[in-house]
Amino acid sequence: MLNTWLSLFSRIAGVFGRRSAEREFDDEIAAHLDLLTEDYIRRGMSPTEARLAARRSFGGVAQVKETQRELRGLPQIEVLWADTRFSMRTLAKTPGFTLVAVLTLALGIGVSTTVFSAFNAVALKPLPVADPGSVVRLERWFESRSLGNGQYAFSYPEYLYFRDHCGAFAQLVASNWPFPVEAGEQRFLAQTVSGNYFASLGIRAVLGRTFFADEDGAPGAHAVLVLSHAFWERQYHSDPFALGKTLRLNGVVFTILGVAPESFPGTAVPPEPIDFWAPIAMQTELTRGYDWRDDANNRQFVLLARLSTTASLKSAQAEAAVLMRQFAASHIERDRTAGLTLQRPTYLGNTEDPRFLAAVTKLMLVIGLVWLIACANLANMLLARAAARQREIAVRLALGANRGRIVRQLLTESTLLALAGGAAGLLVSAWTARLVWPEIQQGLLGRSEGLLGRSVSFPLFSLTPDLRVFAYTLVLALTTGIVFGLSPALQFTRPDITRGLKLEGSAFGARLTRPRFRSFLVLGQVAASMFLLATAGLLLRGLLRSYAAQPGFDARGVYLVYADFGSDPRQAAARQQRFYQRLQSLPELRNVAIGGAPMTGTWTPPIFTESTSGRTLASYASPDYFATLSIPLVRGRDFTAADRKHGTAVAVISERAARRLWPDEDPVGKRFKLDMNFRGKLAEFEVIGVAGDVRYANLSRIDPAHVYLNYDAADLEPILVKTGGSLAAVRKAVLAADPDLARSAGVVRIEDGPLQVQRALAGTYAEFAALLAMLAVTLAGIVIYGVMSYLVNCRIKEIGVLMALGADAGHVLRSVILQGLRPVIAGSILGLLGAGVLSAVLHSSLSFPGSADLLYGLPWWDPITFGGVTIFLATIAVLASTVPARRALRVDPMVALRWE
Amino acid sequence: MATEESKSSILQGTLDLMVLTTLDSMGPLHGYGIARRIEQVSEDLIALNQGTIYAALLRLQQKRWISARWGTSENNRRAKFYVITPAGKKQLQSEAQNWDRMASVMGKLLAATRG
Repeated sequence: MLNTWLSLFSRIAGVFGRRSAEREFDDEIAAHLDLLTEDYIRRGMSPTEARLAARRSFGGVAQVKETQRELRGLPQIEVLWADTRFSMRTLAKTPGFTLVAVLTLALGIGVSTTVFSAFNAVALKPLPVADPGSVVRLERWFESRSLGNGQYAFSYPEYLYFRDHCGAFAQLVASNWPFPVEAGEQRFLAQTVSGNYFASLGIRAVLGRTFFADEDGAPGAHAVLVLSHAFWERQYHSDPFALGKTLRLNGVVFTILGVAPESFPGTAVPPEPIDFWAPIAMQTELTRGYDWRDDANNRQFVLLARLSTTASLKSAQAEAAVLMRQFAASHIERDRTAGLTLQRPTYLGNTEDPRFLAAVTKLMLVIGLVWLIACANLANMLLARAAARQREIAVRLALGANRGRIVRQLLTESTLLALAGGAAGLLVSAWTARLVWPEIQQGLLGRSEGLLGRSVSFPLFSLTPDLRVFAYTLVLALTTGIVFGLSPALQFTRPDITRGLKLEGSAFGARLTRPRFRSFLVLGQVAASMFLLATAGLLLRGLLRSYAAQPGFDARGVYLVYADFGSDPRQAAARQQRFYQRLQSLPELRNVAIGGAPMTGTWTPPIFTESTSGRTLASYASPDYFATLSIPLVRGRDFTAADRKHGTAVAVISERAARRLWPDEDPVGKRFKLDMNFRGKLAEFEVIGVAGDVRYANLSRIDPAHVYLNYDAADLEPILVKTGGSLAAVRKAVLAADPDLARSAGVVRIEDGPLQVQRALAGTYAEFAALLAMLAVTLAGIVIYGVMSYLVNCRIKEIGVLMALGADAGHVLRSVILQGLRPVIAGSILGLLGAGVLSAVLHSSLSFPGSADLLYGLPWWDPITFGGVTIFLATIAVLASTVPARRALRVDPMVALRWE
Repeated sequence: MATEESKSSILQGTLDLMVLTTLDSMGPLHGYGIARRIEQVSEDLIALNQGTIYAALLRLQQKRWISARWGTSENNRRAKFYVITPAGKKQLQSEAQNWDRMASVMGKLLAATRG
């Protein structure tokens, strides 16, 4: 064992000082040969004879030296080093090739890295707490299988039950969903937390202190706050004397205890830029009129547990699940809890949500395609290069080089290229990240901005690549280099040397060597590029139309008024009715209505008439709803107060719905049935009017069918008001209408809120599509040009011969171009067909009334996109074959014949 | 390639042992001296390519069983002299015992088949 180590040590040492060792050994051999020669002379040979005899008896000097070399150092590493240097020299000799290869790879790897680093920043980031590995988030599972952030919601009694009974939890903390609090003219985002919140999560104040456990004791006793670092900076300009200052919230004076560190923006799900934290005991003071603490059905809190050192995740989960069942059995739940799991918490929260995963998967597929094209391009270029070097390789094989050695050298070259591509990819990624990051942040923080009515930012989010991103890029680059370098390396080192030597003798042969693999590669490459190009083009064309899309209703001066009317359904309905009536009496509001707010969600129940059935959009509306949104009534009448009073089952339907359900008939007075709960609970309605078509579900298209139902007060639909006044005036009037509701009430302008979100979303998609299209154009251009010009270059000798034999130049040119175009044409037809199929499949999903149309009304076979892409392709292809072919025609036949 | 390797690997252990014994009995010697000595002792039964002993010398050096230094040969030339180390002596002892055991077993076996 020791000897093995000693040898290894000597060998490592032998890697260095190689030259002096070599010289020394030369001397040693020379001395040996001299001694041997002298010996032979002494035995009576002539000096010449003696020298030869000495050589014979010594054996091959070169072989001995080679054995010595192999023994001396670490041949693996030295060979790698030698290969690397050799590859660098050969790559430097063909800078054009190297540049194009590195650039393509940089695009492929860079885009992939961007997506990964976004995913890394958003989904893989752990909670910003001390020792996040031992912290878990409680997640409940509903019998109804509904998913989402509601799975993290627990009631305060549930919190106490787990805290007091679960032995596997060393600590359990509760924090509610952040809510806005008014302080004078300003709105802040507050969160109430259990008294042990900061201490258990290991968060220490950078200034002052955090809460003591007993400060979350008697309700209303300790009006104290811990500020977030960002809030302290913004509101107090990082003033250390902010400690002990007071803040009047909802008329209650709170004292500032401390400031949380910058690295801790909170643990809200999803993340929100919290301004300050207060103890849960102060909850009624902050949300006047509500008490979240007694109701086992009022789920307001996210629970985080720190596992005790003796508990494993599994045992803790088993214990907690039993407790959950016991608690659930003690009261009646609206949606029964079926189970409980402990989740390793990520910063974003619900990253296991299938909808989120589906979106990530889709993105990854697109990115994977880009990467594949880049890789195929690399493989193709390497293949071309290896073909050009076939004679060199054949000579080396003929001289006795080991095949594995040559494969290794070629692989070193491709890996080197890929690594350079990866490094450049990181740069590309740094650039694209700066483009997409604001959009991602916008998407994550949209809710907070809506709540606060101002733009917010989040210090902890950043796309600065961390170790994980670097590792990802490195692995991707290495994989690329090895996987895509292997096939050309293996192909061109086949042991039939004579064939290799002869083939290079005739360029006709080179073209015929491996036609199947090669044309498959070309075909696949062109197909993938064209698919990407056409898809990106279609998306871009469609999404650009979103800027011009008009909703059909008039959103100007329309505000959405929302408020928390309490958790008891009957009281809440009565409260909303009172509020609604009071608003109606306000002279500054032109119209007041209750009903579905456009673009905030959809309900698409099955609809049946005597003759047809299908799905339709449905929403509720009160009298004056159509006037509030300026939707014209085309036929019949509006809802009336009498309809509501008698609860008559009447409906207004959209023009398109009317045309679909009763073509060529007057729909007024007709009847239809709706499946109200997707389980066959049918209700019948009578059509009393027809309203104009609008884009209610989303901005992307006019609703294919929409029925408006007479609203029911118990449903607590949102209140919409229309006014000529400003947002501030509306807010003031609304808040004055019911001071009790002022705490929870908010006013959002439809144009700023839902409509803005839709436009921003489309804008984000459009930017992404534009990026994709740019990428696709670049890649497709490089790919097709590269392939075509290589194919032509392969035939320069043939062209030379034809010209020498007196062929007509135009004829030769035509035949060369046509032949080169064949695989390109086949590939692009395939790619365009693929894009067409995808587009058609997307289009077919539009039969569902709530789904968004990414093409914004473009036909799925949009002629401009497909035509444009085809023309682009043809231009590139012709250019790529004409330029080198013309050059070939001008080549002197004698030169062409010797062309390699 | 493969056959050469197997041939030298058969030789390897033996050659290493021969070099060690030679250095042990003769004291410091240069490569040529070692090769000559082995040829003489074997009475030219072994047709040794003298160059091959250098691989053995390097291997033994890497295991620290012999050491080397430059000196002057009998005909006043610069030559590299090899010396056995204490670790090498210990190794030689155990290897020699091994060899004896092996030889006696071999001898008995061969005697039995012939006899």
